[in-house]
Amino acid sequence: MANENLNDVQVGDQLPGTTFGPISRTMLALYAGASGDHNPAHIDIDFAKKAGLPDVFAHGMLSFGGLAQLVTRWAGLGRLRSFGARFVSMTQVLDLISCSGTVTERFEAEGETRLRISLMAQAQDGRQTLLGEAVVAVG
Amino acid sequence: MSEADVATKPAGLFDRSTKGHALPTVSVEVERGQIRFFAKALGESDPIHRDIDAARAAGYPDLPALPSFFMAIEAMADEERALLGQPSLITLLRCDFRRLLHGDESYAYNGLVFAGDTLQFDTKIIDFYEKKGGLMEFVTIESTVIHAARGTLITATRTLLHRLG
Repeated sequence: MANENLNDVQVGDQLPGTTFGPISRTMLALYAGASGDHNPAHIDIDFAKKAGLPDVFAHGMLSFGGLAQLVTRWAGLGRLRSFGARFVSMTQVLDLISCSGTVTERFEAEGETRLRISLMAQAQDGRQTLLGEAVVAVG
Repeated sequence: MSEADVATKPAGLFDRSTKGHALPTVSVEVERGQIRFFAKALGESDPIHRDIDAARAAGYPDLPALPSFFMAIEAMADEERALLGQPSLITLLRCDFRRLLHGDESYAYNGLVFAGDTLQFDTKIIDFYEKKGGLMEFVTIESTVIHAARGTLITATRTLLHRLG
C-alpha cells in the first residue's frame, strides 16, 4: 500500500527500490496485447532477425510503466502530477530491471506542496535503460 | 524500402510534410477489461486495478488506470480512426518498425482515467529534427486526453526516433 501522506519526506530520501523481470517473451506478448503496441520488433523474432537485430527487444513503454510503478506504489496513484523518462538504451529479453528514485526537490505549485523525484531503471549488468523524473503531491 | 535496404543508411524516413498536422479528434470508451489486462501485463499487484470493490473502498468510482495506460488509449484512438478510414499516427509518419525507437516520453496528469470513461483524444505532430550528424531522426508529438466533465486528464509530449546508422 502507498504511504498515507508524504509530509515527512526530505530532499535526499530514496524511494524503496523495485525490480521487474527478468523480461520474458511472455511479458512482451502480454504487453503488446494490453497496450495495443503491436510493433513486431517486440514479439516476432523472424521480423527482428530480418531487421538485422539479434532478437526481439522489450517495449520501451513496458520499462516506462515499471518505473512509474516505483512512484505510484510509494506515493499512491492519485498523487502523481507528472512522469517522464528518456530511453537511454534498449531493454533485452532476460534483462532484470531495477528501479530507483531519489527525492531532489520540495516545492510549492498550484496551491500544494510537491516533491520532484529523480528516477533510474538499470539492467542487471549496470546498463542504464531509462532516466526519468516524477512530480508527486505531498498531501 | 525493401528489406535489403536495411543494412544501408537511408536518408530521413519520417514523412516530414506532416509537421504541424493534427490528427482527427476521436472519442474512445475505456472498458474494465482493458484496465485489468494492462495492470496484469505490468505485473501490478494492487487490487484497485482489477477488483471493483477494492477500487471503491479506495474512494474511486471505478477501476483506475495505471499512468502509462495512455498507450492503450492511443491504440484505441487508432482503431477509431481506422473506422473513419483515417491513417494511424505510425502510418502517417511512415514509421519503419525495423528502425523505430522511443526517444523520451513526458506526461502531465491532471486527473485519473477510470473504467467507463469516454475520452476525447487529440494528437498533433509538432516537429522533426536530427541528431548525431543525421544518424538519428526524431519526431515530437503532443497528445491530450480530455474527459467532458473532468477536463484535460493527460497531456503527453513524446519523441519517436529512427536509427538511420
